[in-house]
Amino acid sequence: MRQFDTELKELREGIMAMAGVAEEMIELTIQALAEPSPAKAEQVNHLDRRMDEWELRLDQQCIDLLALRNPAASDLRRIASSLKIIPELERIGDHCCNIARRVGMVHPPILAGNDLERLGTETRGMVRRAVDAFVSNDAALAHAVILSDDSVDALYGKIYRDLLRIMLADPLCIERASHLILVIKNWERIADEATNIAEEVLFILEGHSAKHPYLHGDSVE
Amino acid sequence: MLIPTVPETKPIKLSVRDMAFSYGQKKILDGLSMDIHAERVTAIIGPSGCGKSTFLKCFNRIHEVSTDVKVSGDMQIDGVDIYRGGIDVVDLRRRVGMVFQKPNPFPKSIYENVAFGPRLFGVQDRTTLDGIVEDALRKAALWEEVKDRLKESATGMSGGQQQRLCIARALAVNPEVLLMDEPCSALDPIATAKIEDLIGELKESLTIVIVTHNMQQAARVSDYTAFFWLGKLVEMDLTERIFTTPRVQMTEDYITGRFG
Amino acid sequence: MNAAVPVFRRSRTSKAVDRLMRGVLWAIALLFVAVLILFVGAILKQGWPVLNLGFLTKMPETLDAGGGIKPQIFNSIYLVMLSLAISLPVGLGAGIYMAAYAGQGRALRFLRLCIETLAATPSIVLALFGMIVFVQAMGWSFSIRSGALTLALLNIPIITRVTEVSLLAVPQELREASYGLGATKLQTIFKVALPYAATGILTGLVLTAGRAFGESAILVFTAGTNASAQFPDFRLTVPGETLSVHLWYVTSDGTLPDAREIAAGTAAVMILVLLALNLLVRLVDRTIRRRTR
Repeated sequence: MRQFDTELKELREGIMAMAGVAEEMIELTIQALAEPSPAKAEQVNHLDRRMDEWELRLDQQCIDLLALRNPAASDLRRIASSLKIIPELERIGDHCCNIARRVGMVHPPILAGNDLERLGTETRGMVRRAVDAFVSNDAALAHAVILSDDSVDALYGKIYRDLLRIMLADPLCIERASHLILVIKNWERIADEATNIAEEVLFILEGHSAKHPYLHGDSVE
Repeated sequence: MLIPTVPETKPIKLSVRDMAFSYGQKKILDGLSMDIHAERVTAIIGPSGCGKSTFLKCFNRIHEVSTDVKVSGDMQIDGVDIYRGGIDVVDLRRRVGMVFQKPNPFPKSIYENVAFGPRLFGVQDRTTLDGIVEDALRKAALWEEVKDRLKESATGMSGGQQQRLCIARALAVNPEVLLMDEPCSALDPIATAKIEDLIGELKESLTIVIVTHNMQQAARVSDYTAFFWLGKLVEMDLTERIFTTPRVQMTEDYITGRFG
Repeated sequence: MNAAVPVFRRSRTSKAVDRLMRGVLWAIALLFVAVLILFVGAILKQGWPVLNLGFLTKMPETLDAGGGIKPQIFNSIYLVMLSLAISLPVGLGAGIYMAAYAGQGRALRFLRLCIETLAATPSIVLALFGMIVFVQAMGWSFSIRSGALTLALLNIPIITRVTEVSLLAVPQELREASYGLGATKLQTIFKVALPYAATGILTGLVLTAGRAFGESAILVFTAGTNASAQFPDFRLTVPGETLSVHLWYVTSDGTLPDAREIAAGTAAVMILVLLALNLLVRLVDRTIRRRTR
């Protein structure tokens, strides 16, 4: 195996490890929110420091590879995309912290049904599949992640409207509802980040950007 | 495989269709087709022995000097077949200049090196020659360095200066195309950077085809890149595309160093 | 992973052999220098007392002592010049042809074989050939022209070979550069290849001159052992005894009382001329090199 391949593998494994931490944070956030558990919320906060450390380390690895290996073609695309995936993962961690911080402020629950849990688990599923697509170079899976963003958005919209209705009906719920709006906004952002990761995976695999499809008219090519 | 449809405003200068080249029984190049645009730099890359240098030499028929070879298919300059019976090889070589792998100045003075070509074509008048020599040396970014020692031997110059002198010598006969066969392979990085800058300036008025084994050099200097393997053109595209998203796996493997 | 790494040490014997070989080669080189110094020294020592202006400028005597070698010096130079004047264009042309025009075919191999055979032919064989053809068949008798032509036969293969080798040594890159600028084959030969090969050809030429200068067998049989009584005698039809022939003649004929002294003086003159020629080669070589490389 080429030395360069070994280094690329190390980078890939680093990103997998960082993504593992992100998934762990999401899982803990879901649990902290449901139970509610201030201890798990505190754990989320604690893990964010690990994410920041990974970010610095992996950024440096990418820069080193660019400087020393003159990557081209798929190697270049993989490293350039890694440089964009790493901050997405880091932001997922930040959003988890934002949610975890509000664990104590949204109880007792005001939302009927399990929409909030579903938003959390669907988002978790998107992140997990986006990372899987990156790890296993699976373009179909990446496409699926991008498509599933719509259903998360729809769920987010539904919960948002429910919360507005609850606030209008009972002013005592306004404080908890406004915190919940921030919670669901953060989940929705995490789902967007999973989508961004999936788009980078497609760029690595297919060589052209999957972003902003409306710009890919005839005028560009 | 032809150049893909890109918004190219420059006319086609050299055109190759189904060209093959054999040396004795051995086929060196086969089934080559490509278009090379005027005022663009086209780089040819590929592993050693892929026929890239041979291909380059076919454009001014310089290979005929040392080998007994057969070229078939079409190679055209401005729409005229290079291998057609009536073409004047001497005039072809004037129009299609060449810079070689190793700097090869004549063991004469700097001035005489540059004046060599014009003299061949009958330029005798001293003032005219002086003008041509100065002009060619300026174009090759060498004038300021050598204007006070034109009478000194060219072989006393540094490798990079010698190579720029060879470029000046080629420019002195006012060529339309400049073929460069690994022009920096014998030079240090600083001399290489100078030649690369020069290539960028020269393409304003010339068609340049450069063979290089240095992929980063191809990436730096060229507008188009063609990848050769075993005497065939595997892929040709805009250089940016070759280096970010080649379409053929073999090109990808070569560009990323996973070849073979 | 943990296999023992062998220790690479230069063996004692290889060092010793290296030193020994160096010593042997030095000794051989030294031997040559010593032989040369002894040889030249001996000749000059014997010849030096004889060497004076009179010896160099007087006509030779046939019976008495005190004769000079003026016509022999003249004949030597004249014959070398004449033979070179004949062999240079022929040899140069043949060399250019073989290096640049002849293909790689059987004809060229045969031609090269002929030239090499000619070059390796003992001069006494050439001498007999010259005598049979020029002196007898053509009826030119012992004369400058018979000598010059036969001497040319000796020179031509050497000059041809030297020209060919020198031209083949011209780097292909330079030829390509010339063709690349639109030069024709002839232009490339005359403007690039020959100037580059000039040093080699010139060196070969001077060495050829030296060999012709020292040649005796050929000239004994073709140019004769008599020198014209006139001086200087540019006629091609008269016999022309050269220095080397004179040296041989006076020692083997034995009629001159001072044959020994004359031989010693003649030998010294020849050695000095050859030394001068070799120095000239070096000088010319160096100036050309300095000018062009």
